Amino acid sequence: MSRQGKRKTKKGIGIAFCTCVYLFLFLPILVIVVNSFNATTSKPYLTWKGFTFDWYVRLFDNGALLSSFGNTIIIAVVSTLLATMIGTLGAFGMYKYKFKGKGVIDGLLYIPVVIPEIVLGISLLSLFTNVNIPRGMLTLILAHVTFSVPFVIFNVRARLSGYDNSIEEASMDLGANRVITFFEITLPVLAPGIAGGALLAFTLSIDDVIISYFVNGQTKTYPLKVMESIKSGVAPDVNALSTLILLGTIVLVVLTQSDFLKKKKA
Amino acid sequence: MKKRILSVLLAGCMAAALLAGCGGKSSSAENGELNLFIWTEYVPDAVIEKFEKDYGIKVNVTTFSSNEDMLAKVKSESEGTYDIVQPSDYMVESMAAQGLLEELDQSALTNLDNIGSQYLNADYDPGNVYSVPYQGGVAAIGVNTSKITDDITSYDDLFKSDYKNSLVVLDDYRATIGMVERSMGLSVNETDASKLAEVKDKLLSLKDNIKVYDSDSPKSQLISGECTLAYCWSAEIALAMEDNPDVKIVYPSEGAFKFIDNWAIAKGAKNYDNAMKFINFMCDPEVAGMVMEEFPYLNCNQTAIEANADYASNEAKNVPAEVFEAGERDKVLDNDTIAIYDNMWTELKQ
Amino acid sequence: MKKHQWRANTLPSLVTVGPVTLWLLFFVAVPLIYVGVMSFCSLDQYYNVTFQFTLDNYKRLFDVNYIKIYGQSVLIAFLTTIICILVAYPFSFLIARTKSKKKMILYMLVIIPFWTNSLIRIYGWKTFLGTTGWLNTALQFLHITSEPLELLFHRGTTVLGMVYCLFPFMVLPLYTAIEKLDGSLLEASADLGAKGFSTFFEVILPLTASGIFSGSIMVFIPALGYFFVADILGGGNSDVIGNLIERQFQSGNNWPLGAALSIILILITLLLVKIYQKLGGDMESLGV
Repeated sequence: MSRQGKRKTKKGIGIAFCTCVYLFLFLPILVIVVNSFNATTSKPYLTWKGFTFDWYVRLFDNGALLSSFGNTIIIAVVSTLLATMIGTLGAFGMYKYKFKGKGVIDGLLYIPVVIPEIVLGISLLSLFTNVNIPRGMLTLILAHVTFSVPFVIFNVRARLSGYDNSIEEASMDLGANRVITFFEITLPVLAPGIAGGALLAFTLSIDDVIISYFVNGQTKTYPLKVMESIKSGVAPDVNALSTLILLGTIVLVVLTQSDFLKKKKA
Repeated sequence: MKKRILSVLLAGCMAAALLAGCGGKSSSAENGELNLFIWTEYVPDAVIEKFEKDYGIKVNVTTFSSNEDMLAKVKSESEGTYDIVQPSDYMVESMAAQGLLEELDQSALTNLDNIGSQYLNADYDPGNVYSVPYQGGVAAIGVNTSKITDDITSYDDLFKSDYKNSLVVLDDYRATIGMVERSMGLSVNETDASKLAEVKDKLLSLKDNIKVYDSDSPKSQLISGECTLAYCWSAEIALAMEDNPDVKIVYPSEGAFKFIDNWAIAKGAKNYDNAMKFINFMCDPEVAGMVMEEFPYLNCNQTAIEANADYASNEAKNVPAEVFEAGERDKVLDNDTIAIYDNMWTELKQ
Repeated sequence: MKKHQWRANTLPSLVTVGPVTLWLLFFVAVPLIYVGVMSFCSLDQYYNVTFQFTLDNYKRLFDVNYIKIYGQSVLIAFLTTIICILVAYPFSFLIARTKSKKKMILYMLVIIPFWTNSLIRIYGWKTFLGTTGWLNTALQFLHITSEPLELLFHRGTTVLGMVYCLFPFMVLPLYTAIEKLDGSLLEASADLGAKGFSTFFEVILPLTASGIFSGSIMVFIPALGYFFVADILGGGNSDVIGNLIERQFQSGNNWPLGAALSIILILITLLLVKIYQKLGGDMESLGV
């Protein structure tokens, strides 16, 4: 009896602790959501002037904010696709073939992962300046591919470590050439690793501030727009867009998750 | 599972991008484009929109938050990236010397006579060959009189030990060190190493009083009550006074750190004619009137000031002529002196 | 024979590994080498980088003022890492050992906040902690305090922001490590009469140490560079190495000095990674 009681208090403490951690994680989000309904119109938008839905309407008149969001999505999609393509090929090749200098490539791969983002940011800025590539959408995409490629490779590799070479051999024995084998046999097996890597690349890209800050030129991404607006106080329409984005992602997760659970039961 | 999340995410994103694309306004571009490179929070959106509408020119805006930042970008981007830049006084001189500015077509500046004669033909650009003044100001003292009842009259007063942890200063080493120099009766462009050693000691004695360094929106610190004293641009204090009537402005008895920002055309500008149209447009009194409503710096447009009695009588906005006259501008310093300034600033900020 | 070797190995390895190799060479190796070169360059009177060899940048790095900021930055990163471990360990343990289907949801709840832009969340903390912010308003309303507490613009606030930003990078590896723990092992330890404490220190901790190590790397190193956290929440009072670099590349306009500062950061990173590898850390687990 007392043992059970003890276990219950232990459980209670555990739940209380986790709740506190979640509160910590969600507190700023609550601030954002509440401020998106603030009727204030004067900078720095800190005083509460009543409840309004206005900002959700006005948001769609703020062309600069919306186009920055569009830029973020374009950059994320393009850089994820590029990183996934060259990353998947690279991981596969490094696993399958023998060649000199593998260790060097490995070493290079770890750099963008461990090095502080600011170092990658300033070194890419220096490079782009020196070879005179105009800063903008292009340099943003190049930079984003650079920091996401290793994550794709690591994820694909994790999948490859359990990969059975014999199915490829079987396919080749049946007369398929190397290219067909890669697309028909290898790729489907690697798919979960590729998808995981791509998801990570996408997430990193849409939230990147530091590297984009150095290589953006005249192209503003959504995080950079936020950075700009922080200087004078974040306007409620920025909060409103953030709330919508959050809501969107939660809906997507809930949809995919519940779908997943249903499939599993069936 | 990850794959499914990914595909749904991608679909959602495509939809969002489409939406964002639709939301963006399609501006008329029948008369070409104009690329502005300007200070953050300095030119009202409404003014840009008016220019786009009146002239049928599409304007692209990029912003910077320090002269040096702007200079670095102008030099590192390929020529023709920016048409219009907005350098401060000393930076006009420096950029012109480096051949980074185009000469202005004086015949296109039909509105120039609206600009106060005291701002024209300045020592940093004699004859206004490269630049037209836009607006300026001085670094003044903002006081929240409900919390601070002492009579503050000078930069030197900010060093009193009573004001521990209550001051917001500009996060700009030239401006803040310049304030210390003025408080000691020195020039803001002091280069003498032994004098700079004294400046450093005095600067460090300010550390306990500084609560936050903020160049972007020091007014927020005054409005929210985070700080009760501010060393910042006059216009920031003017805006804080509108939100918090307890705030008042003090112009330092030592003579203030001052600046004038200007319009100029970057070397190799692709849209030179449009750029001239824009500069002339900005000298229009009606446009200047719109600017002073939103960003109440010391406007250089005399005609516009005369037309706006509220602005003209507000001493935080329309900085009194004698205050501006007594102020001092910063100049380009040599690298060794810059290193001394940078070191003392680093020491202050640790 | 040679021809066969080409078709069987050389050509396909070029096609597959070639693109990523070129990419890494051009966008990782070359820029870093260039930064290294630039750190030995001088500056002319118009802030242009000139290729004239100098050690001045490195001499300035050993200025006592800079060294104090490295110290402050390391201290902030260290505190951030320790707090992350102390909070994330029990937290990850609790969610990873949840038996119900809720586990996935609990895990997703850690990730979801990070789909909102990190800057705006940091700004949310500023709004919450300010003199007239939510917390002070609430405390004064409840008459717990009479004067607003000075919560913003301290070193502690910067640490809070860093912990907030980097917390999931500690949770993810810990979660993975703890999830792998074999339940029967814990029972065996208990059956052999081990008390809670000794089970923890002798069985659980060693088995999950890898998670702690990779989490620490993923928290400590970025914390040295997150200049925006120090800007927004520290108010310029608690700069990290990232602020020094950012200043030289933006308003300071002294790229060679900024490059030399970056080299310092690279060296610290290399040192930590070496220690991590000595402790048996797996590089791959930093990126999955």
